Amino acid sequence: MVSDGNDPDEALLAGVGRGDPSAVRTLLDRRLPRILALARRMLNDSGEAEDVAQETFLRAWKQARAWKPGAARFDTWLHRVALNLCYDRLRRRREVVTDAPPEQMDTGPAPDAGLLHADLSRRVEAALAALPARQREAIVLCHHQGLGNIEAARLMEISVEALESLLSRGRRALKASLADLARDGAA
Amino acid sequence: MTTSAMSVARFEALAESYGGEIARWPEGEREAARALLASDPTRLAAVLAEASQVDRLLDLAPAQAVGAALLGRLITAAPKAPTTARRWVAGLSAALGLSAAAFAGVLAGVSLGGYVHAPAFPSTAQHDESVTAAEVYQDLQDALREPSEL
Repeated sequence: MVSDGNDPDEALLAGVGRGDPSAVRTLLDRRLPRILALARRMLNDSGEAEDVAQETFLRAWKQARAWKPGAARFDTWLHRVALNLCYDRLRRRREVVTDAPPEQMDTGPAPDAGLLHADLSRRVEAALAALPARQREAIVLCHHQGLGNIEAARLMEISVEALESLLSRGRRALKASLADLARDGAA
Repeated sequence: MTTSAMSVARFEALAESYGGEIARWPEGEREAARALLASDPTRLAAVLAEASQVDRLLDLAPAQAVGAALLGRLITAAPKAPTTARRWVAGLSAALGLSAAAFAGVLAGVSLGGYVHAPAFPSTAQHDESVTAAEVYQDLQDALREPSEL
C-alpha cells in the first residue's frame, strides 16, 4: 500500500514519535473517533469496539518513531490494523460454541409505529450487523468512513468492481430488512 | 476535459453502490453522471431519491462517543519525550560507540561490582556509595524502558 505522498497526519506522527503531548492529543482527536466508529459498526459491541480502538492506537504508538513517510497513509494504516483486529474478534465469535445462541437484536418491525430515534438506530445497527462481514465492511468504509472507492478496494484487497458488487448487495439487503422504516418515512 | 457518455444502467448501478449523492460517487464518473441526470432529470432523480433513502437509514447507525477513560489510557501510553537521564545515556553511549542498553550494563557492572567486593561490614560511607550506584542503575533502567512498560 503506497501513499500519494500527501499524508495529513505525517507531521503529527513525527511529533508523537518525539513524545510531543500536543501532537498525541491532536492525533487522537482527529483519528480516534473514526477508528472507534469503524470498530463499533463492524462489531456491534461498544466494549469490543473500545478494545479494538485501544489496541490499534497502542500499535500506532509503537510505530510512531519508526514510521516511514510515503509507505502508506497513516489513516489507511489505522483502518487496516483496526479491521484486522475486528476480523480476529469476528472469527473468535464464530469459534465460540455456546449452549445458548448469541443474543441477537430484533431486526423486525417494532409493534409501535412511533419509533424513537434510539429505536431506529438500534434497528439499523442490528440490520448492519446481520450483513455478511465483507458487505458490512464495504458499506462502513465507503458510507460511514467516507473513503474513496479506490482506497476502500485497496484496503479490502479487492478490485473496484468487487467492491461495487459488495456495496450494492449490502445496500439491497439493508433496504429489504428495513423496508418498513422506509415505508413509514423514517428515512 | 471531455467526459464519455454514461448509460442509464451504469447510473443506476452507481446509485445502488454508492448512494444517492453523486458527490460520493467515483470522481472520474461524476461529470458524466451529472450530464446524464440533466438529460433526463425526472427519471434519474427518482433513482437518486431511492438510493438516498438507504443513505439516510445508514446515517442512523450509531457511532460511539470516545470515553474519557479510553482517551486517558491512550494518552498515558503514548511515547514520552526523552528525560534528561535518557538523553545523557544516549549521548554518552553514542560517544563511546555502545548501545544505550550496553552502556547501562557496563555502568551497572561497575557499580554492582564495587558492591560485591565491599567488606562484610562496610563503613557508612561505602554503603552509601553502593546504594547510590544501585539507584543510578535503576534510574538508567527506568530511563531506558519503553513507555508502554511504564
